Amino acid sequence: MAINILVRFNPARPKAGEDVRVQIVAQHPMEPGTRRDASGKVLPADHISELSVTMDGQLIAQVKPGPGTSANPLFAFKMKASKAGRVKVTCKDLNGQTGERTADLTLA
Amino acid sequence: MDRRKFLKASAGAVAGAVLASQLTSALAQGALEGEDLANLEKGLRQVLGKGFRDLTVSQQVKLVAPTIAESGANVPVEIEAGLPADQVKAIHCFSDKNANPLLFTVILSGVLPYYATRVRVAETAPVRAVVETKDGKFLLASQSVRVTVGGCG
Repeated sequence: MAINILVRFNPARPKAGEDVRVQIVAQHPMEPGTRRDASGKVLPADHISELSVTMDGQLIAQVKPGPGTSANPLFAFKMKASKAGRVKVTCKDLNGQTGERTADLTLA
Repeated sequence: MDRRKFLKASAGAVAGAVLASQLTSALAQGALEGEDLANLEKGLRQVLGKGFRDLTVSQQVKLVAPTIAESGANVPVEIEAGLPADQVKAIHCFSDKNANPLLFTVILSGVLPYYATRVRVAETAPVRAVVETKDGKFLLASQSVRVTVGGCG
């Protein structure tokens, strides 16, 4: 099952030159590998290990979360809204599952 | 006990109390609650190849985290660097007492030096933001987070 990713811009339609906050939420349990289930067995680690953000094909940020990131993690960046473009987020977890989402940034 | 002996003894006691209070206030400024430098050092060496002494404490790094977190499984952390965007290479974040002290690494190339996320903190310990600049400097900001329920067990 692919990882579901949500992308939101705040403000949704920024003016040119304004700072825009890019909020990314990935729906993932982010199992750190230290927790135990009811019978005392250690749950194997399964967390997102890599998340990349590109803008019009150019890499703008890359996150490498360790096991110490919360479930359904939020990743928020700030950038200058100089032009409209397509933001693409891709991620990969330790089990090899991937997720992908594109969002269009439009200027007011 | 006569008056003279009493005065001498009480003067000593007062001096001792003053010294003790100075000591504890110095400790409060120098060390953060739940500090574990040995574990942190291990993580720093592994990730950055640097030790704690190679980091410079900087006012330019702003770390926003709660002082008391109800659940260690979900602690919001916000890091901002007061530097031009093209000077910041990466942001790292560590927590002293986690089994794996590295919480995350972000490599920035085109966004402003700002990052917000939610992290797991195993137990009461300082959270440390390390901003890596293009000229190879590591700037540090720390804040202690008191955790009532751990986030890793």
